[in-house]
Amino acid sequence: MNSVAPKLYADDVSLVMVVLDTNPFFWTTSSLPFSKFLSHVLSFLNSIMLLNQFNQVVVIATGYNSCDYIYDSSLATDHGSENGKMPALCSNLLQKLEEFVIRDQQLRKDGSGEGLPSSLVSGSLSMALCYIQKVFRSGPLHPQPRILCLQGSPDGPEQYVAIMNAIFSAQRLMVPIDSCYIGSNNSAFLQQASYITGGVYLKPQQLDGLFQYLSTVFATDLHSRRFLQLPKSVGVDFRASCFCHKKTIDMGYVCSVCLSIFCKHHKKCSTCGSVFGQAQADASGSSRKRKISET
Amino acid sequence: MPQVKIIAKNFMDMVASLPAMKLDKLYANAFICEAILRSLPPLAKKYVLQMLFIEGPVSATSMQEWVLADGVSKHQVAIDRLIQLRLFTETADRKRETTYRLNPVLQANLQKLLTCGEVLPREPMPPNVTARLPSLEDLEAFALEKWECFLLQLINSSQAEKPTNISSSMMKIFQRGLLSQREKEAPRLTESGFQFLLMDTNAQLWYIIREYISNSEERGVDPADLISFLLELSFHVTGEAYNMNTLTDVQSNTIKDLSDLGLVKLQQGRKESWFIPTKLATNLSVSLADSSSRKQGFVVVETNFRMYAYSTSKLHCEILRLFSRIEYQLPNLIVGAITKESLYTAFENGITAEQIISFIQQNAHPRVAERIPSVPENVTDQIRLWESDLNRIEMTPAHHYDEFPSKEVFEAACDFAREWNGLLWEDSKKKRLVVKAEIHMHMRDFLRGQK
Repeated sequence: MNSVAPKLYADDVSLVMVVLDTNPFFWTTSSLPFSKFLSHVLSFLNSIMLLNQFNQVVVIATGYNSCDYIYDSSLATDHGSENGKMPALCSNLLQKLEEFVIRDQQLRKDGSGEGLPSSLVSGSLSMALCYIQKVFRSGPLHPQPRILCLQGSPDGPEQYVAIMNAIFSAQRLMVPIDSCYIGSNNSAFLQQASYITGGVYLKPQQLDGLFQYLSTVFATDLHSRRFLQLPKSVGVDFRASCFCHKKTIDMGYVCSVCLSIFCKHHKKCSTCGSVFGQAQADASGSSRKRKISET
Repeated sequence: MPQVKIIAKNFMDMVASLPAMKLDKLYANAFICEAILRSLPPLAKKYVLQMLFIEGPVSATSMQEWVLADGVSKHQVAIDRLIQLRLFTETADRKRETTYRLNPVLQANLQKLLTCGEVLPREPMPPNVTARLPSLEDLEAFALEKWECFLLQLINSSQAEKPTNISSSMMKIFQRGLLSQREKEAPRLTESGFQFLLMDTNAQLWYIIREYISNSEERGVDPADLISFLLELSFHVTGEAYNMNTLTDVQSNTIKDLSDLGLVKLQQGRKESWFIPTKLATNLSVSLADSSSRKQGFVVVETNFRMYAYSTSKLHCEILRLFSRIEYQLPNLIVGAITKESLYTAFENGITAEQIISFIQQNAHPRVAERIPSVPENVTDQIRLWESDLNRIEMTPAHHYDEFPSKEVFEAACDFAREWNGLLWEDSKKKRLVVKAEIHMHMRDFLRGQK
């Protein structure tokens, strides 16, 4: 009667933050071409928008050197497309994506390490969380946020601390991180992210039917998840990376003061500066093996 | 207390009640597919999406495996709804197993929507033709003014300053059920009329639209056409101008009616004329779903039963007057008190305590809406108590029987009354009983037969 409300929310209104891997090093080796992958993802974005008028989609591109927002459905007001053929969502997103990839390439530093370089997932996760935080602060009425990582490139152990921090912030905000991993091996980071935040981790077997995986599993709003069977994680790789050489380790030394992890014995903790005593021969005293998930 | 309730949000039931042929015809329009999909319960939406690219039928047993034990009832509700709206067709295959298949027309439409993205129902007019369009704020103000004006006229024709162009016959249709007019008396709001006023805008809008649609056949308009046009309208962009000549005759007649309700604003250029949808129109498909709609509230209720309403609207004042005593009115503030007398008048008019409470809760001023509870508990409790005061005695017209010749006749009469569900009281010692008035005639016949 007073005014038509700007926000009207049913319980299935969702905000999906899609973190898109655009690492060129990965996509050149992938069995699924990037263009095909994109068309699956675009259909998925369309389906999210179709489900509810108030659903919101934000896409963050994760490059090799940088990450950036490339699409935000709440900002896309211009429905009219210029060429009349391609719908607004596609053309906006593709254009931004192209600009992003070019920029990402220019940032490239020489002397990359051996193996397949990883993407900057930690940065994208932080950006997604910032966006969600902004939405939370916008008022009492907001859509229910969740993050979906579409990742292909392998984990970068050097991002371990940043990613774990992002995961724990997401856990605190009660934002589930879903992950769909299209690379060859499983991603330990994403497995942990989904496990800790209560999201779904899935590694699709048939990449041709990616859309069906996306629509069946990842289009499920948080409200419906209470009633539906979703894929359960078979096992989670809880291995941590050491802080000193950024290597993934099974066993290591943990600082008893700040819980930093090291692969070798140090005299002094590099994070908090605590001085360690002389290590016992079989490393039992102040340092012992510890699983990071328990922190 | 009468239990009349206006079913206003139930527009989808109306769609579901359309004959199968018409319903299938509706799904040929992609916008309707979209609107209907959005109106479904979350689980049902999910199923449609999941089955969108599955060409063959899916068996009911395999669908049941999708849900957890907790969700079985929700699952059933979703499936029932899908079948009712003919989104799913149910078939039994050779092994007598139930299978479901998505409506192929709808499936094709939605598939296209997903792969090609959303398209607009019609292209907006270029800005060089439409010289100056109203700003979104102006448009919203326009829509609200029109709507309030319409509501005022609806409840009290003399109050409206600017009478709308809605024909009096149309107004009569809208008023049917909301107002009752006895001879030589001013029309009075009925219980449902009061309840109507306490509903939120979207619900009210749908009530009116529903009446409008159900009446369409008398005007020689196919309800299915009207429904599809209204749903299509909700997918237009607010504030853009659309050319009138893209509409059919029926549609342009409809749009004139809709402009009186504030759904669209009509403007005339040098050569062409166009319509600009307002928020009310684009929200049409939203209110299809029974989403918990909220809006900026304006009422503050204090523990001393005083009520402050920050509003300039005459309509708000009229609504508050339904259940409170308005004491004075400042330019932007209406001050009133909730009293026993004012509530008794409300109860007499058929408004329930729950409705009043939910109205003041839903319209709570943002400052008090943050508090829990937004309305002081002593006030809500007292409103409920006053209502239950009125319900202490229930009156039922009845007939009293006594002087039965024998115990057997008395027992038989009691059993007979029980069978008709009309026995109110019996006293087997003195052989007396009281039955409801409506079965008196049957009782008399029965007793005559006994003799």
